[in-house]
Amino acid sequence: MRVRWLFLIALLGALLFMPPTWLPEPVRLQLAQWVGAGEYRRPPASVRVRDLDSEVPCPEDLLGWRDAQRIEGVDIRRAATCIADNPYVVAAVVRGTNNVSSATLIASGLTPDAVEKGRDLDGDGDPDEIHIRLEVVELNGSSAELANPVMQFSIAPGIQPGFWVFAPKTFGMATENFESPRARTILRLPSPAIRVEQGDKILITLENSHYMPHTIHFHGVDHPFLDADGEGNDGVPITSEIPVMPGSARTYNLEPRQAGTMFYHCHVQPHVHVMMGLQGLFIVEENRPNNWLQTLNIGAGQVRVPSQAVRESFDREYDLQYLDIDKELNEIVQRYNDPRLIIEQMHRRYDVTDAKSDYFTLNGRSFPYTFRESLVIVKPDERIKLRVVNGGSSGIALHSHGHKVTVTHFDGIAVQPAARITRDVVWIASAQRVDLALETTNDGLHSYGSGVWLLHDHQPKGVTTDGIGPGGNLSAIVYEQFLADNGWPNTSGVSFAPYFSEAYYKKEIPVWQSYDPTGLLTAAGTDSWALIRLVGAGVFLGSLAAALVLMLWRKRGNRAK
Amino acid sequence: MKRTFVNWLVVPIVLTVTGFQIVSAAEPAESPVATDDLHRQHPMQQREDHNTHQMSLEPSGSVMNSNTSELPRDCAEISGKQAFTVYASVEFAADYPGTTFGMSQHEYFVEPCSLVTVTFVNKDQVRHQWMVHGLPKYLYKQGMFNLEAAGGFSQTGSFIVPSDDRTYLVHCDVPQHMEKGMKGQLKVGRGNGDLWSVPGVSEGLYRDSYTTRYGDVWLAMSMAAGVALVFVLYGVWGRANQ
Repeated sequence: MRVRWLFLIALLGALLFMPPTWLPEPVRLQLAQWVGAGEYRRPPASVRVRDLDSEVPCPEDLLGWRDAQRIEGVDIRRAATCIADNPYVVAAVVRGTNNVSSATLIASGLTPDAVEKGRDLDGDGDPDEIHIRLEVVELNGSSAELANPVMQFSIAPGIQPGFWVFAPKTFGMATENFESPRARTILRLPSPAIRVEQGDKILITLENSHYMPHTIHFHGVDHPFLDADGEGNDGVPITSEIPVMPGSARTYNLEPRQAGTMFYHCHVQPHVHVMMGLQGLFIVEENRPNNWLQTLNIGAGQVRVPSQAVRESFDREYDLQYLDIDKELNEIVQRYNDPRLIIEQMHRRYDVTDAKSDYFTLNGRSFPYTFRESLVIVKPDERIKLRVVNGGSSGIALHSHGHKVTVTHFDGIAVQPAARITRDVVWIASAQRVDLALETTNDGLHSYGSGVWLLHDHQPKGVTTDGIGPGGNLSAIVYEQFLADNGWPNTSGVSFAPYFSEAYYKKEIPVWQSYDPTGLLTAAGTDSWALIRLVGAGVFLGSLAAALVLMLWRKRGNRAK
Repeated sequence: MKRTFVNWLVVPIVLTVTGFQIVSAAEPAESPVATDDLHRQHPMQQREDHNTHQMSLEPSGSVMNSNTSELPRDCAEISGKQAFTVYASVEFAADYPGTTFGMSQHEYFVEPCSLVTVTFVNKDQVRHQWMVHGLPKYLYKQGMFNLEAAGGFSQTGSFIVPSDDRTYLVHCDVPQHMEKGMKGQLKVGRGNGDLWSVPGVSEGLYRDSYTTRYGDVWLAMSMAAGVALVFVLYGVWGRANQ
């Protein structure tokens, strides 16, 4: 008997608390006919999401790494961006790590055999025997004792997907110091751009310091299928060689006859390993006298010691490497520590045919970090060489605001001058390289004049970070007159403060909050009354269900008796 | 990210029961230099402090902060000499499932104020380190002693330990080498607890789950079995009482 009362009370309560929007439209319209429309209830006021804890956009260059300088007799150009490469690394790889002072080497962090340069075989004033040693480094990986990633490298505020990169051979600690979880600056995404001279005798040793097998495949670079010892030299497990196992090493031989912008990447389970970051630009420069090359360009970007051939025709040179990332793949190394579990998840459970990219990087960073180190800095009436590779899973539609660029080379091969096209969207397929000539002549065609002009993949997802914009591979062509002394562009648009906060990319900050004084476009507050009502309806509906069950139970019990 | 529901439940309990001393042993002997605001604002180059002290770089590797004579402040004299020969090789990883890189020895016991000499033989073809953290910073820059051997080379160096009972971290700092097997501990005197995840010595704080494939199904089925068990027992008990 009491259960029936409970049932009635619950039914009544549920009807009373039920949000009116749950009623079918005809019922609501009929009710409005009888009693009129509901009374005005003031929607919740706009709220300001908590104050931002923003990073400093442009860290001060305390060590003077941005300055033009001469180290070991190497003239290193000024890096105008706010974060610059370590000039001691530049000097050491130009001279050869076996040819520089101990002080330079220690300041570079490289081992004496990282980039060895030997004899000048053609007598033209530069070394032609080059031996590069690369290790494999995991960034943002896991450990069995910390919840946070180890060897941290952020592509944007608070965003640290796991990566594997080829890295030059270094000594000492891999992090900034014992108290810091951050990777030191030389260990980063992307793998360094490698520069060699046409005809050089090149040895590249892969010292596999990683817990998975790897190889190097020199994509587009002239190399024999077998080396002098008859061993596989193509880096492909199914046709050329057993991969380099953890703790082992192999040396590849190259003597490239053709110059051009090429590519290198791991060829073990390449659909996964290439996307984890084991890829970089490989540039074969034309042979010239006294051609001391910057063998490694850490993190790609500006080439601070360009080759003789580039100096002949261009005022500046930039290496640009685009990569998109599926976070489901790159999180695997953070979710497991046992390599066997990582291998199972990566190579059997993860299905690249279902992949969808979340992060879009230029030279290992997404916006706004791209504005710290990957801007293309120019002056009026210059010619700038951009070497672009798309290391990602799908094409990019590279678009330059304020400029039309000329495609001079595809995949390292020159386009005949008569056939060259000048355009503002350049489609670059996976693994494709294009060399672009950017001319800053203000003629309304090549350039519309000085400014801060965006440079980005024009596909919508490419300018987001996991769907949040602005993000992704957004960068810019910036004229020096628009650059502050510290290398930060003088923009006249919105504040960058939200973009330098982790909360923004965690999707917690209303996108226009920073410049919406009216509050009309920020976040709406919560309707507490509606929430209470909803909870009430829930409680009564639950009671109603319980009462029903009890009634049925009793009925059955009575029947059994 | 890797914290599962079970971890949330278990970790605080483990920490409460056993963990605090263990975790504190992992901290360096001197309190870490406070990371001031300046450093937080300048996240890139300025915090890098790589030891350049008492060292010569060779293609075979390097020895950092070797010390055979300078005494820690709390030691009147060298109490004794102890020597270890340690091998680094992937072949030692086979003893500890789930690791890739290995060392022949993961635990070292030394007397307070003793002179410890380590010969580190690298049998792999890649670089390895035998690195100790937490030594007194007035003697060892960054509190660190490091033997770094290139593939196929060996390095020897010495250091003098202080007098207090402490457990020091020994590891290879090549990325992921510690996480994948090259972790050890050096106990001076009785030490002050064990570090986490030393192969053969201690468990990882975040141990991998090896039931992931059907773990949820097993849990759901066993919970259903538990419910059934209660009903059965209740039924039996009820009938017995009638």
